[in-house]
Amino acid sequence: MKELITITKIMFVEKRDIIISIFCGFIAGTTAIGLFALSGYLISKSALVPPIYTLMILVASVKMLGIISALSRYGERYFSHRGTFTMLSHLRVSFYERLEPLAPSIFQRYRSGDLLSRIVGDVETLQNFFLRVFYPPIVLMFVFLSTIFFTAFFSIEVTLIILVGFILTTFIFPAIIAFKQRKVERRVRESRGELSTEISEFLFGFRDLKIYQKLEIKESRLRHSADVYLKEQEHESVHNLLSESANTFLSLVVSVTVLAFGAYLVATEQLDGIFLAMLVMVSLTAFENTTSMSVFPSYLEDSRQAATRLNNVVRTEQEYETPKKSKEKLSITKSPYIRVNEVSFAFPDETRDTLSDISFTLPPGSKTAVVGPSGSGKSTLMQLLLQMYPVNQGEIYINNQSLNSLSQESIWKNTNVVLQKNHFFYGTIRQNLMFAKNGLTDEEMKNILEKVKLSHFTLNDQVLEKGENLSGGEKQRLAIARVLLKKAPIWLLDEPTSSIDALTEKYIYNYLFKEAKEDTVVLISHRLTGLESMDQIIVMESGRIVEVGTFDELMEKKGYFYEMKQIEQSVF
Amino acid sequence: MIGLKDMAKKQKEKLILLVFFAILSGTSTIGQNYLFVTIVNRIFLKNDSFFEIIPLLFGLLAVLFARTFFHYLSGRIGIRMASKVKRDLRNSLLHKFSTNPVQTSIQGQSGQKVSVMMDVVDEVDSYFSNYIPQLFQASIIPIMILFVIFTEHVATGVIILITAPFIPIFMMVIGFKTKDKTEEQLDKMSAFSGKFLDTLQGLTTLKLFGQSVEQKEAIRKGSLGFREATMDVLKVAFQNSLALEFISMLSIGLVALEVALRMIVFQDLSFYTGFLMLVLAPEFYTKLRDLGSAFHTGRGSMGAFKRLEYELASSVQPVEWGEGCLNSTTPPTIELCRVEFSYGEDDTFSLKNINVLIRPFEQVAIVGKTGSGKTTLLHVIAGLVPLSKGEVLLNESPRKLYSEKAWFDGISYISQDPYLFSGTIAENIAVGGNTSATREDIMEAAQKAGISRLVESLRNGYDTPIGEAGRGLSGGERQRIAIARAFLKNPSIILFDEPTTGLDLQTERILQSSMKELSKKSTVITVAHRLHTIKNADMILFMDNGEIIASGTHNELLKSNETYRNMVSVQQGGL
Repeated sequence: MKELITITKIMFVEKRDIIISIFCGFIAGTTAIGLFALSGYLISKSALVPPIYTLMILVASVKMLGIISALSRYGERYFSHRGTFTMLSHLRVSFYERLEPLAPSIFQRYRSGDLLSRIVGDVETLQNFFLRVFYPPIVLMFVFLSTIFFTAFFSIEVTLIILVGFILTTFIFPAIIAFKQRKVERRVRESRGELSTEISEFLFGFRDLKIYQKLEIKESRLRHSADVYLKEQEHESVHNLLSESANTFLSLVVSVTVLAFGAYLVATEQLDGIFLAMLVMVSLTAFENTTSMSVFPSYLEDSRQAATRLNNVVRTEQEYETPKKSKEKLSITKSPYIRVNEVSFAFPDETRDTLSDISFTLPPGSKTAVVGPSGSGKSTLMQLLLQMYPVNQGEIYINNQSLNSLSQESIWKNTNVVLQKNHFFYGTIRQNLMFAKNGLTDEEMKNILEKVKLSHFTLNDQVLEKGENLSGGEKQRLAIARVLLKKAPIWLLDEPTSSIDALTEKYIYNYLFKEAKEDTVVLISHRLTGLESMDQIIVMESGRIVEVGTFDELMEKKGYFYEMKQIEQSVF
Repeated sequence: MIGLKDMAKKQKEKLILLVFFAILSGTSTIGQNYLFVTIVNRIFLKNDSFFEIIPLLFGLLAVLFARTFFHYLSGRIGIRMASKVKRDLRNSLLHKFSTNPVQTSIQGQSGQKVSVMMDVVDEVDSYFSNYIPQLFQASIIPIMILFVIFTEHVATGVIILITAPFIPIFMMVIGFKTKDKTEEQLDKMSAFSGKFLDTLQGLTTLKLFGQSVEQKEAIRKGSLGFREATMDVLKVAFQNSLALEFISMLSIGLVALEVALRMIVFQDLSFYTGFLMLVLAPEFYTKLRDLGSAFHTGRGSMGAFKRLEYELASSVQPVEWGEGCLNSTTPPTIELCRVEFSYGEDDTFSLKNINVLIRPFEQVAIVGKTGSGKTTLLHVIAGLVPLSKGEVLLNESPRKLYSEKAWFDGISYISQDPYLFSGTIAENIAVGGNTSATREDIMEAAQKAGISRLVESLRNGYDTPIGEAGRGLSGGERQRIAIARAFLKNPSIILFDEPTTGLDLQTERILQSSMKELSKKSTVITVAHRLHTIKNADMILFMDNGEIIASGTHNELLKSNETYRNMVSVQQGGL
């Protein structure tokens, strides 16, 4: 429940809509009850043939109550939805605020890409928290309190019955359902996960399954999982239906009891018969609202889980974070001297070192290539240089300042980074280039597009989500264009041209190295070509540096690099 | 292709039950109101004693129970219908995918298919579990109520008959129009949360460029702007339901006025009938409004069903197989005669006029540019895709005469990206064996594939879980698992898709030596990306644009084919 309190706090940033929706809901609820009460009274009164003006007043009051009820229902709907959207906006912002300091390490920890879509989904789920969990019970309670207040004028017994009925249908019964619900839902979730795995294996592993003749076994297992899932789903639906029906019946029983007691009171002349119809109408209408309480547990459970997951993401992250000391800012105007000294690194939760005993220096203005097979730790090395993770063994120095004492932001500000996977935002080419630096002109951007051979795009061309409409090579060139515009003195490039053809690659590198003439450049390369002019090449394998030297030195040495080069030359 | 309605019609007996239960629940609704009015009437006007109405009270309780019970039963039928439909849909999808999903997995749509089988099928649920039962209840019960009203008091019936049509008309004229708009807006809402996702995914990039604070403001503004737009649409929708409420209220008011006037002024209507009218009229309008909202419930399912229809529509041709046996010790002669193949009618790529003869124990290398059809040819040889034309002969008789089992028992396929099933390493290697392999066999195969050292370094060794739920393996490690599978299986034909990129030295060496070892006992057909593979091949198939443009040994092709010569020399130049 603690998680939901956090959500409630965020929700209460904007109180106005909440209060208005509760107020309108209350008015709508009470006037509806009043409307039916009055019509019950009206018909009873008519039976006694009253003077016509009494009737006129009653009819007019019924009409007025009806109009007020409908209008406030409208107001309730309007403000509760408005409040929901406002709350959603607060939730997004607040979650973004908490997530922002944790990027990018959070993306490494959760390898699966659907962490983020789960976050978005959970935020979306929480919109029901206000609409279905938070305010309806409050409205319901107020409506019942005033109903009880009203009926107390006529009969204490009837009032007690309504009160007990209210407690039963609103609190006790939903609580019982909620208890069972958790188990039912967990079983559905589990069987769903199982089926999803089976289907994924079936489709993704189809070729291997077919060739190894395991397809039929897999198919029957899939069918079995599908049936189990279906059964659990059916079980859940029936459970929900049963709870809803049972709650409806329970509330009807309460009204019958009201009728029976009322009838008894009238028969024993403790109550004027003219109020009997009215009291029963009140009870029937008041309990109509409680049927929605049977779905309350499932919304509550959904919201609770969503809130817990969201909080967990942020909380576990914070545990990993280094204690926040006041960090110095890296301020450099020209390329610095970088020294990596006996650095070893293991990812949190992993026992094996990803990097062991890494030492090298990057003199100002030097050009360094890092090569090695995939999984050798090249990208991790770059992440350490960017302080995406704190170095826990050994030390990295920039101009004799320890990297750990510098703030992330100031390092990034001075670095041009191209990652293996670069993100592009939904929008235009211009929007995706603009944020490289403040105050960029269209002219500058157009010029850069030409330099990376993307002049077939205009600045207004659309970029879809994640750059879906761009080819791999186009995305890489756009990412390079972005850092070319940024113009910082340190360059860290992680396989920036892996999808670009050799000729274009050469052209772009020529321009890039001309631009970066004075700067310190680290290029992680998947290809061993075009490294002849680098000042040094660092060769890595399974987290260690195996060789360091210039291209010619390494080729002469006939070691690891030489052999890799031989293989590369024989690969078509 | 049949629609959702037809799928519902197929379960006729359930529909009949739904009608039956709707009638029963309508009867109990009416009975409830009768009893209720009777009790009040007797106590209030007839001055009956409490004991006289006790049976009526129990009757009322029974009727109320019946009403909820029948409602529950019809809901259950809906759930059962939904289950059956979902089961049928999943089975036909499974059938469809299992007949030939190699094409789909080649086209990289497997992820999408998973979501079709899981979520899209689930979306059909509410049509059957909610919409249909609600539709039956909401269309049958009001008619029954109206009938009762007419038999009791014609004037009320006439008032209802005149006012009621306004509700559906109003819904049709305005309601549907805005409903579309509302849905459009809801779509936009999901698009907007897509944008939120976009921002979260790009957080690293934003931070690297120092732009993350600006984005916070953008999220806030965007959300609020979106709120205003949505509220405009929702306002219209809410106004509509307000208007509907006014209409039904006005009608009920008219009924009440007429009843009251008849009771007081003309005094020709009893309290009993008047009260009955006053309780039945709201029931009628509530049900009528339910009918309107029922339409809304079914709409989401319609869209999902369209997706499924599309998925099930395209027909696939399965690969044909027969009954024949194959001698498993010596590899068969494989001959492809005028083979043609294309992925689909609208796909421009195809294999054309492929004629190849592969003798037992031959080493064949398939060479060509990216997109020239090398892997497709390997799939054709593997018998994974149906041919559009031509024939594959094994030992001079058509392959379709042999049994599927006989063929697949004799081959191994080592792809660039072998799939790891969720299970232990041992289980993943054993998937290659035809019979239940012993732990020793598995360890031997792993050793030959050069992965035993890595496996033994793990805490749980061969019992380490891998695949979906377990430890991830690198590309090179996965290939070595696939090779271990091949060693365990001991096939007579090996199909090998060589890695396009350079791997670590160890894996490269293992690949070379393992393939050499495996080739001693089998025919090996390789999509080649390594010069040594090509040089060692007995025959090279040089492909371009879906055709074999030349074949022969490396030296022969160097002499005879200029394109081949160029390709090799470009490669040697190191570009």
